[in-house]
This record gives sequence, structure tokens and C-alpha cells, in this order.
Amino acid sequence: MSQQSLTLPPTDRKAVRRRRLLELLGAAAIAATFIFLVLTQPADIAGGLGSVSSLVALGGFLLGALLLIVGVLPTLPTSTVVLIPVALVLNIVLGQLMGTSGLPFYLDSIGTVLIAVLAGPAAGAATGALSSIVWSFFNPTVLPFAAGAALIGFLAGVAARYGLFRRFYLAPIAGFVTGIIAGVVSAPIAAFVFGGTSGAGTGAIVSAFRAMGDTLLAAITKQALISDPMDKAIVFAIAAMLVYALPRRTTFQFPFVRRFRVLAGKEPAARNS
Amino acid sequence: MIADRTAATTLLASVASFSYHGDPGPALRGVEVAASPGTLTAVVGGSGSGKSTLGRILGAWLLGGRDGTLAGSLQLEVAGHPEGSSPLRFAGAPDDPRIDPGAWARHVGYVPQDAASMLSAVRGTVEEELAFSLENRGVLRADMMLTVADIARRTGLDGLLRRDPATLSGGELRRLAVGCAVVDGPGVLILDEPLESLDQAGIRTVVELVHAELARGTAIVVLSQHADALTRAAERWLVLKDGQETAAGQPVRILEGGALAESGVVITSPEQHPDPTPAPPPVLTLPVAGAAVGATAARTQAALELSGVAFGFGGRTRNAPTDESLLLEDVDLQVMPGEIVAITGPNGAGKSTLLRLLNGLHRPLRGDVRVADESIAGVPTGQVARRLGLLFQHPHDQLFERTVLREVLFGLDRIFGTAAPERAKAALAAVGLGDSGNAHPHELPASGQRLLALATVLTREPSVLALDEPTVALDARGLERLTAAVSAAAGRGAAVVMVTHDLRFATTHAHRLLRLEGGRLRRL
Amino acid sequence: MAARLNPLTSLTAAAAVLVITTAASSWAVSLTVAVGAVLLSAAAGIVRRVVLAAAAVVVPFWLSLLVIHGLFFPEGRTVLTSWGPARVTAEGLTYALEMGLRTAAFVLVLMVFSFSVRIPELVAALAARRVPPQVGYVLASTLLLAPLVAARLEKVRQAQESRGLVVGRGIGSRVAAIRLQMVPLVLGLVHDAGIRAQSLDARGFRSTGPRTSYTEVRDSAGQAAFRVFAILLAVAAVVWRIAESLPAGSLSAFPQFVGGA
Repeated sequence: MSQQSLTLPPTDRKAVRRRRLLELLGAAAIAATFIFLVLTQPADIAGGLGSVSSLVALGGFLLGALLLIVGVLPTLPTSTVVLIPVALVLNIVLGQLMGTSGLPFYLDSIGTVLIAVLAGPAAGAATGALSSIVWSFFNPTVLPFAAGAALIGFLAGVAARYGLFRRFYLAPIAGFVTGIIAGVVSAPIAAFVFGGTSGAGTGAIVSAFRAMGDTLLAAITKQALISDPMDKAIVFAIAAMLVYALPRRTTFQFPFVRRFRVLAGKEPAARNS
Repeated sequence: MIADRTAATTLLASVASFSYHGDPGPALRGVEVAASPGTLTAVVGGSGSGKSTLGRILGAWLLGGRDGTLAGSLQLEVAGHPEGSSPLRFAGAPDDPRIDPGAWARHVGYVPQDAASMLSAVRGTVEEELAFSLENRGVLRADMMLTVADIARRTGLDGLLRRDPATLSGGELRRLAVGCAVVDGPGVLILDEPLESLDQAGIRTVVELVHAELARGTAIVVLSQHADALTRAAERWLVLKDGQETAAGQPVRILEGGALAESGVVITSPEQHPDPTPAPPPVLTLPVAGAAVGATAARTQAALELSGVAFGFGGRTRNAPTDESLLLEDVDLQVMPGEIVAITGPNGAGKSTLLRLLNGLHRPLRGDVRVADESIAGVPTGQVARRLGLLFQHPHDQLFERTVLREVLFGLDRIFGTAAPERAKAALAAVGLGDSGNAHPHELPASGQRLLALATVLTREPSVLALDEPTVALDARGLERLTAAVSAAAGRGAAVVMVTHDLRFATTHAHRLLRLEGGRLRRL
Repeated sequence: MAARLNPLTSLTAAAAVLVITTAASSWAVSLTVAVGAVLLSAAAGIVRRVVLAAAAVVVPFWLSLLVIHGLFFPEGRTVLTSWGPARVTAEGLTYALEMGLRTAAFVLVLMVFSFSVRIPELVAALAARRVPPQVGYVLASTLLLAPLVAARLEKVRQAQESRGLVVGRGIGSRVAAIRLQMVPLVLGLVHDAGIRAQSLDARGFRSTGPRTSYTEVRDSAGQAAFRVFAILLAVAAVVWRIAESLPAGSLSAFPQFVGGA
């Protein structure tokens, strides 16, 4: 035993750069896929299922999500890694709980946003992507939405980074904007891979736009712009409520929270009972 | 690469101060610990005295920089490695040495109070869980098998290797947690409340394990709020209060002095754990006895009455050899207003289940439960709660507000209207939390959390008070407050039913002692 | 049966089948794959669980497809019947059928994989491939945590009802109840996670050196060859599909090609 063997070596710059490269590649894959899908969208879906679009959508988004996961996860402190399964289960269990309450929202990204607020955009993106991949063990239709989920986590982390969780009324606004962006990105997946939407409830809205003669992608994008911003506004508000309910010692164990002063000072801003 | 034989190791720690990130003040100040091979050191103190924080710093579960600001030094002297024994010094600065927790744990193993949190929770069997750290260190599979078998023998887990860790009993789980720590071959072992919430059989096996490790030359540090047989066996004590050392030295000396009394340590008699079978006589000479008799005379109706209650978890798929479908077969119980009844019994006899039958969380298959002379059949639990207050074992599940005061106030205005804030403050003062009204419930020490949960029940003035293991995690001050609160409740005419392993507490404070075994209650 | 395979073999097989099905984009291939998945699950003795779980996902999805494409399909020309703005077209129904079958195949294949794989073996196999240990941990922990969280939620509910919480019928009351249950649930889980992280670090979770595995994962040269073959086949299907789409050719040749595989 030497003293060195008990302490950690200084951070390996090369490994850090390699991880950063994976993250960038992942983000690039997602962006390129989206642009390709929008530019080449089939004018007439009656001709077939748009098989190339499906392959590109599935492959590009999934590859991007996997690169993000492999690039980000090893850089996260263990306290964040251990929290990710909790977030994934929250996404699923709380989504289920909402289902039984009879409310018209899915709220399946609360855990993702929670991680993003506590541990930052990269952790949020990885959690979102993992959420879809692990969830697909039970419900494979969510698998192609991995990139959209990653984007939600990333944007939530950015919102936290710039102090939007310091005021309780700003969180839902950030959620609303996130919902618009995420909805637009997810729509091509819903259109080309699943020919509509994976939810039965949102199908009615898509039908309404189709009845007015919209293309499928346009109809689904409009539907997403109706349901997603509201849903994400609620999710961000709930995540803010949960974060402020945590004891200070718990939130302060996350360097991201300390460094960027993510949460308002002593007095919690969330007031509801 | 795994030490078959533990190297004699000495740990010298001097914590000038440690504060968690975001805390206003330090959790520890000026504490020095030395653990030498083959010796037992006990760090004793009340709840919230900083014992666990100290243990975690010693075991590198808490790191300076990552988890808080540490000033002081840590030094390991490992036999045969003289070159590495210079101390690691911390000043709370960014360029402090950064301990590698994985490397440190090969010399110092820490076992937390909640043994389940030691487990990775991603391994399906006891043997895979034991092998977790060996896998991470890249030990060859053949060596791993040998080490796991050896550790299983040492910790008495031989017969359990294929079991799912989630199905283990409290004592088995604690031994698995110790096994997970010693599998790395550390020369120093730090055990945090190793006997907490274990039944007699569990306590025996863990104490045996501690003595076996001592005999192997391991330096052991036990953190505890009990001056019991295990801590009394220590060569040296360190008494902590509010994060500071108030006394240190031989246990006998400290037991004679006054430092222990104010530390909050629970002092129990030095003899080995009492055998529960010989029945202690029912004690009726209590401070509340007079009140109880008076209340009984005034109202002859029982506050709580169970007649012929049967209950079982239908379709339980436990592959136990005896297929007993009924957990409770025929339970009769009458508790008068002002009477305190204690129920004991072995683990798994259905004690906690019995309490859940009282307020309708479980519904009896046969028989009837009457609270304050009204059957609770068909009444939702939330409404039974008006008349019967149930305190659970784990306060974490019961507390949900942001501050201690709001926690007690919750739902109180529907009962007491505008008088609610007064009531809440009185209840908090009664359990000694009068000054903590603005604290976050989860930031209270374990003892405080249990007392807060007790206050939330007491403040509603139920006619029946049902307590599940009320003494667990309480330090001496907590026990005093529990006793006072229970006596006061009985004094105003509430019936009290408590389930407990703590026979000492039961015999001194209950009017009647009952034992639940084989699905029936019998008098002790 | 599937349990004796290396988990990576079944994962590769599932992924290859999915890619080929998507590339083929033919109802006949989708149907064949779906039926094949059901037969495979029957052989493995998990047919009941697979079909039930798949139905829970697929049936609402089919309904959604029927509403969207069965009733509204502006591109459709062969109108079968119409009520006001809704027009049932042959093209719309065909599209819904093809999409429905493809998704059913997708769901069934992944269900067969998830119900037959042993999570510890999958994690060990991933670790052996030098996938970062965090990935395996998150995967296994989530799947093992779900029942624990459900149990914990039940405990929280019990504790709160014992404190006099009555959940009313109104939406407001339910939302309030959910908030009250979520807070202790999340607090407890986050607290446990914090301690578990310290334990994992002490047990060498972040060690950067090589790792080994206590769980033995079966593998063979035959399986390795099969994995390579499956990947090549999937790549070939994608390349073929893209080449075919450039001159906007027909799909007629593909089913025969895949049928031989």
C-alpha cells in the first residue's frame, strides 16, 4: 500500500475528451435524423409505410440515444447513477398513478426532469434516453421516442442551469417551451414508425386534423403542439414541487445544484397544501 | 490480490471539523479515534450526536470535498507496508487529497445501520451480492468462488448463498452486510448500530460474529446509542454529544462518571440479553395506574375490543414447508380506557399485522374489531384514524410535509378548528421538539423523526393509541419522552396497545404483557 | 430454451428480426414474424405472459390506428362509406392493417426477449463486452426496483390513511392525495439512493480496471457466428431497402428473400 493507492489519480483528460465526443456524436445523430426526416417526408403515405423513413427514424434516434448513454453515464458521480433507476421507476409508477386518477395527462417524465434539475443537462438527457429503452422492456412502442425523451431531460437541465427553477412560476413556463420543442422532434417518429400516435387518447386529435386534410406529419405535429406543452408544464411544476420538498442536505449533495445555485435560497418557493 | 489473512491495521483519525454542504454549522468538531488490531472501540452517544457521520468519514463513505468540508487527518498503518503510513491531511481546500473509496474500503470496512443499504440491490442471490466488490476489482472467477465460500463460512451465511437477499431476516441481512464489508479483507471494521431492531436470535448471531472477527485480529469500532453487553465489552469508549467528544476512556470509568447521563445513551444492565420466555409479573404500580383504575371504573366499556379475529394473507406463495394459511387464528383482546397493553412474540408471528387490523388497513376474515364501542367493519381507515392513532415502525413513510410544524398541523384544523396551531405546538413541546418547528422532518435525527411521528398521532387525542416497536431508534431522551407521552395519553383515558421486542420497556411500562404466538394471544 | 442462450445472442436475434421486418415493410413478413414470436414463446413456455403483456400494449394502439386511418385518410380514393367528415377508405384500412401488424410483430419480438432473458446474465454479458458498468447497473436496478417501489407506495398509503387521510371522489382530493403520497415516496427513494451510492463506491463500483463476473454466461463459437450472421443479414436488408427506394421500385421481391432466412 502506498499513499497514492488510497487516493484518486487526477482526472484523465483524454478520457474526458472521448466521452465528450460521444455526447456530441449522439446529439449530431439525433439532429441529422430529424432534419433528414423532415426534408424527405413522403408526400403521399398511401404508397406504403415509408419504410426507409422508419428505418432512418429508428436507427438514427436510437443510435443517438445509445451514444448519449454510453458517453454520459461513466462521467456521472455514483450518487446520480444510483438515482437514475429511481427516476425511471418514478416515470413509470407515477405515470401509472396518474392513469388511475382519471386525469388526461401522461406525466411520464417527472423522474427525468427531477434528475435534470439535480444533476444537469447531460444527466437529464441520459436519463430520458434510458427511460425509453428500459421502459421498452414492458412497452416496446416507447423505444423509438428515446431521442425525444433525451431532449426533454437535456432542456430541463438547461432550464435549471439558468435559474428557471429558482422561481416557482418560471418552471411551468420552461416546461411549456420544452414541450413545444420536444413535441416537434417526436412527431416524425410517431408519424413514420407508428403511423399516428402510440396513445389512444391523442389519436382523436390527430384524426380531427386529418379530417381537415392535413398530411399525417402535419396533423401529428399539431396534435403534439396541443398536448405536449401542457403536459410538460405540469411535469416541470411537479418536479419543482418535489425538489423543494427534499431536505437541503439532500439537494446540496449534488454539485450541479451547488455550483449553479439551481434552487432558491432558504425559503422554498413552492407553496401548496 | 484478495487478502486471505487480514493484515493487522491501525486507523488513526483526527477530525478537526466536518460540515455537510448546505448545513449552517459543523456536524463534528474535534473528535479523535484510534482503532488498533484486535481491539473493540465503542463510539457511544445519543441520536444526532454525529456517530454515523464519524463512522462514514472513517470508512470513506463520506468524503471531504464531495460530501462536505473536512478538516483533519486520516492515517492507516498496515502491517508490512510501512511506506504508506503517512497521514492524509485535509484542510477543507480544493487541493486536498481525494480518497479513492474503493481502495480505502480494502482496509476499512463500514457497515451502515440500515443493512439493506449496504447491498447493491442488483444481485439476485446472496453469493452474487457477496461477490459484487470482487467483480469490480477484477478478481478471477475461481478465486472469487473460494473467497465467497470462505466469507460465507465466517459470517454464517453458508446455507443462504442461493437465497434472494430481499427474503432474509434482520439478523441474516446484517450478517450479509458484514460479509460484503469483510470480503475485501479490511483490517478495520466499523459497525453502525449493529444490534438495532434485531430480535434475540439475531442479536446473538451478530455478537458472535463481532467476537470472531476480533479474535482474527480485526480492529472493530462499534457506533451505538446503547450501553449494552456488546459496547460494555469494548476496551475504550468515546462519548459524543452534539458532534463533540465529551468523554473518552475505559467504559467502567465513564459509566461511573456523569458524562453518559447527559449524552442520551440508553443504559441497560450489563448481563446478557434477557430470555423472553420466563414471564415477568404484570406490573401495576405505575405512575398512571391510579388514573387508569379511575377511568376504568368510570367507563366500563372497553376502548378496544377484538373478538374471535382471524386473518391470513390468502395465496401467499412463500414456499414454507408448513402451509399455514391463517396468520392469526382466534384473537380476543379487550383494552380498557387508560390501560397499557404490550404485545411481544417472535419475528413473523403477525404482531404488525395485528396492529393493522385495528384500524382497518387489514380486514379480519372472521370476528369483529370494535374501537370506542363501535365496530369498524366497513369504515374507511382514514375515518377510523379519528378514534385510533397508529404509529408505524418507519417514520419515513409517515412524514410528508416540509416542516415539522406543518407535519403536526396536517388535517388538524378539521378536528380542532382555530385551536389547531396551539394543539400542534403543545404536542411538539410534549415530545421535546418545541424548538424544531421549522426544521425539515427528514433532517431530524432518527430519534427525532420517531418522536415527530408520535406527536402527529398524539395531537389528535385518539381513544386508542397503537404503537409498532415504539422504542426502536430512540435514545435515552427519546425514551423518556415516549414514556411521558404514553403515560399522559393513558392518564387522559386513552387505551394503549404496543408491539415491542423491548421486554424491559414492556415490563416496566405496561399493565399487561401478552405474547402472540401460533396465531393466538396469551397472557404472560 | 431461450434461457440457455447467451443473452447477447437473443438480443442480436431480436434486433435483427426487427430491422428486417421494418425494412421489408410487408404485412406478410410482419404476420410471419408475429406468429413466429408467439410459437417461440409457446416453445419456451411463456406464451401466456407474452401474449397478455403484448395485448395490453397493442390493443389500444390498434384502436388508435383504426380511428386515425380507418375514418380519416385524405389520401384514400376508394371510399367504402362515409359519415360527415369521416370517410372509410380501402387505402386507410390497408394502411392501418399494415402498421398494426408491424407494430404487433415489434412488440411480440421484444416481449419474447424480455420475458426470456435473465437480467443478471444480461448484465454480466454486457460487462464482459466492456460496456460501462453504470449501464448494466441502471438496467438491472430499474427492473428490480419497480416491485419495491410499488410496495413502498403501498406502505406510504397505509401510513397516511392511518393518519386520517381520506381520499375523496373529487379530482381535487385525488390530486392532493397523489401529492401527499409522492413526497414521502420520492424523499425516501432519494435518501436510500444517496446511501446506496456511498456503499457502491466503497465496493469498488467506480474502479477503472478490468472487471470479472461471478455469474457464468454461456457462450459458444456457434452463437458468436450466429450473431455475426444476424447482424450481416440485418445490414443487408437495410442496404437492399435503401437501394430499392432510390428508383422507387416495388417491394415485391423482398418477402421471398426474407422468407428464405
